[in-house]
Amino acid sequence: MKFGRIITLSVITTLAISGQSLAANKLIQNKGSDTLVNVAQAWAEEYPNVNPDVTVAVSGGGSGTGIAAMINGTVDIANASRQMKKKELKSAKDSGQNPVEHVVGYDALAVFIHENNPANEFSFNQLGKIFGRGGDATKWSDLGLTVPGCDSDKIVVVSRQNNSGTYAYFKKAVLKSAARAGIISKGSFRQGTLDMHGSKDVVDLVEKTPCAIGYSGLAYATDHLKLACISKEDGASCVSPSVATASDRSYPIARPLFMYTNGEPQGAIKEYMDWILSEAGQCILVNKGYAPVRDVNCP
Amino acid sequence: MASTGIIENQFLETELNVSAKRTETLFKILFMFMAGLLILPVLIILTTLVVKGSSMISFEFLFGNPTNGMTEGGIFPALLGTVWLVGVALVISVPVGVAAAVYLSEYAPDNWFTRAINLAIINLAGVPSIVHALFGVGAFVIFFGFGTSILAASMTLAVMTLPVVIVATRESLQAVPHAFREACWNMGATRWQTIRRVVLPNSVSGILTGVILEVSRTTGETAPIMFTGAAFFIPVLPESVFDQTMALSLHLFVVSTQVPHVPEALPYGVALVLISMVLLMNSASIALRMHLRGKKKW
Repeated sequence: MKFGRIITLSVITTLAISGQSLAANKLIQNKGSDTLVNVAQAWAEEYPNVNPDVTVAVSGGGSGTGIAAMINGTVDIANASRQMKKKELKSAKDSGQNPVEHVVGYDALAVFIHENNPANEFSFNQLGKIFGRGGDATKWSDLGLTVPGCDSDKIVVVSRQNNSGTYAYFKKAVLKSAARAGIISKGSFRQGTLDMHGSKDVVDLVEKTPCAIGYSGLAYATDHLKLACISKEDGASCVSPSVATASDRSYPIARPLFMYTNGEPQGAIKEYMDWILSEAGQCILVNKGYAPVRDVNCP
Repeated sequence: MASTGIIENQFLETELNVSAKRTETLFKILFMFMAGLLILPVLIILTTLVVKGSSMISFEFLFGNPTNGMTEGGIFPALLGTVWLVGVALVISVPVGVAAAVYLSEYAPDNWFTRAINLAIINLAGVPSIVHALFGVGAFVIFFGFGTSILAASMTLAVMTLPVVIVATRESLQAVPHAFREACWNMGATRWQTIRRVVLPNSVSGILTGVILEVSRTTGETAPIMFTGAAFFIPVLPESVFDQTMALSLHLFVVSTQVPHVPEALPYGVALVLISMVLLMNSASIALRMHLRGKKKW
């Protein structure tokens, strides 16, 4: 009888579990951008202290992952470090979703080099030569630099995987600008870049590689890296990335960070979005190294 | 005198004997060295984890919530999540796997249908885990509408590990001597009576091996749960199979590659807990298996 009993028992248990109503707590699904994921996590960690009835589940994967989930209708809030493309908006509409955009903060996109690299500043055109397809800077000596510890002199170009919002924004802001200036023919990345799967991977690699140059959100910067000062035009004075320079938009590669909801947010999702944009929510964002959407006085 | 000399010489080693012996020793040492190399990665991994991660292990680490952007605090939600995922996967795959193996071993005639099933099992075992993950998203998350949940993730894990359970069970069923079955049938017992009273009790230790292998594999899998049920961060513990959860394997990936400013020891601590869980479960199952095998009657 033993086996029969075990089978009956497991069937009953399964039925009992599935019969149980979904947890009384409201669950908000939040997925997307690896740039935003750590702020999203910090918000989700703090929110139970504000509203104990709401739970926020956070997943990363990249802006593309979040937007795809929004199109599929499997998330409540999609995080993105770039805007949704027209094509994506259309496929969202086609599958009955109505993504509404919210700017929740700004991020300075920092250009990282090894701490022993003597370079201090780069212009958009120089970055175009380094990162762009057809750019003529493949060695540090092409830029008139000798980098200690980089015996091969070859520039190791560190980039991101192509569904990353950081990748898309760097391409749009820097490479397209260099292409317009005629430095490179098309505003696309060169072949043979090392495409890392997360912002932290970029930082870790550049920290250990004297020949390397990479880019990521400022929030991922560490003390063992050099953050380049960036100028839009050759010869113009450069601006260093910081929360302050991203807030006042003087840093040239600062980008808005987005959260998308399906339709105008309502109920628990609206309360959560309002809290994110409130002083308390924005101060968490500032603490993580991002720039707020409005003036805040954080402790 | 000369004749004895000839006889003695017959037992002396020739040049050929000596060189063959030397080659023999050489290959023996070479093979032994290769076999010994297998221990090396295990030792290196375990030592590194213990040296770098053991400072993290404390009551607060095991039973606390992650705090301060997951750079401090504990891993309890991930630990519990992994127990949920593995447990539910076992509840699904063991009955299905054992039943399938019983059919294949005890009932199935050798025809095209049985051969097709066997082929499917072999192919299922060869499917990469990331493909299982995408199948899980399409089938369980979206089509069956379970959403990203423990249920969807565990079902994905169960599908992935079914071949292991089936193959191990079938082999241990077939290891039960055929004479046992014949004796039973001759007493007028039906097939099912024979299976329940004779075949299954005598093959439990082998079935457990399959389960052990499944548990070890599911505990460490990351790809199949990443899209189907495991979250980067979730501040509450799962309460039912429809909840999402954190999981140790994904947490290890997250703290080592996604979260900035994590103390160096933290990922090693998580890895140490993960590997200890697998080793602990394996040893418990092996002990149980040895106990059961001691009761074997042949």
